[in-house]
Amino acid sequence: MVYKSDLHIHSCLSPCGDLEMSPSDIIQTAKSKGLNLIALTDHNSAMNCPALNELCMNDGEISCFFGIEVTSEEEVHILTLFDRLDSVMEFSDLIYKSLPEIYNDPDKFGDQVYVDSENNIIGEVDKYLGSPSGYNIASVIDKVHSLGGLVIPAHVDRPVYSLSSQLGFIPEENFDALELSKNYVLGGNSGGNRNIILNLDNFPHITNSDSHYLNDIGAVYSEFETDDLSIESLRNLLNRYQISMKIAKNRQS
Amino acid sequence: MKVNELASKLGYEILTREHNDADIKDGYTSDLLSDVMGNASEESILITIQGHKNTLAVASQLDFPAVLICNNRTAALDMLETAEKLKIAVLRTKDNQFVSSYKVYCEIKG
Repeated sequence: MVYKSDLHIHSCLSPCGDLEMSPSDIIQTAKSKGLNLIALTDHNSAMNCPALNELCMNDGEISCFFGIEVTSEEEVHILTLFDRLDSVMEFSDLIYKSLPEIYNDPDKFGDQVYVDSENNIIGEVDKYLGSPSGYNIASVIDKVHSLGGLVIPAHVDRPVYSLSSQLGFIPEENFDALELSKNYVLGGNSGGNRNIILNLDNFPHITNSDSHYLNDIGAVYSEFETDDLSIESLRNLLNRYQISMKIAKNRQS
Repeated sequence: MKVNELASKLGYEILTREHNDADIKDGYTSDLLSDVMGNASEESILITIQGHKNTLAVASQLDFPAVLICNNRTAALDMLETAEKLKIAVLRTKDNQFVSSYKVYCEIKG
């Protein structure tokens, strides 16, 4: 089966995510854009993944991975992806506990709410999710791999919160892939300094929308083919560079 | 000024078991390593809170004799192992980057 996947989507849990980004609205929008695989990847928390899991299981037409966009100690955003809800929730708990005791002010930073499958708000996360976690890049890789997940540095070309902005180079670590931003794939200027990106070609690339608003979902996506969808099969496809970056048709003209 | 002399004058903890007691010719304060790489001069002491091994990758590229970790932050074990291999000193202070920059400046440029 061919998967059109957008594996970097924020929900209303991320302080910068639109309140309309509920798991159910994300699923409906993704399906309307022709996607059949998505991942929910909020900053430093997976508290909206249980609702996503329930909705996906009942839907049948779209598959879901669960993720977290971790902020490392270096303040690099790293996409982590899992196919097991218990694994992502275990990782979410570790990351949350490691966040500094800085509490969210919804008026300044935005709401951090999590919902059930019917869009009812069931809770609010207290610590500010934009803070860096206590995990550095190497320890994120160790922990996520031990839990069976994938580690993909996010939007590596961007001028903020990326490997290129924070380190200025791509370290020789066991990354499963690198994510290139929407602007990079669309050929525009992502604002980052591409000249300082070293080792970019040493890893497979994927692209995702990094949506914070419903309209952005699926603007770019990654396509691959497998008959056995799992994180393990995606890891193998990435190892063989069998994944391609795509631009949504209505954006190509 | 040499690394050991600076550490002793300012009471800095030396976290690495061995390093070259090299000359510190300049200093640079930043927590963004891409900024360090683009703007610091060679043979500087780096004043930062980034206590992980990637800091050493930049430090070795620019021949820094020492990295000073501020705010008493933890230096990761693999950072210290890398530093010892590269013979770069990792120092630590409870001062923040602002205060450290002033004190180090007075010693090496004052």
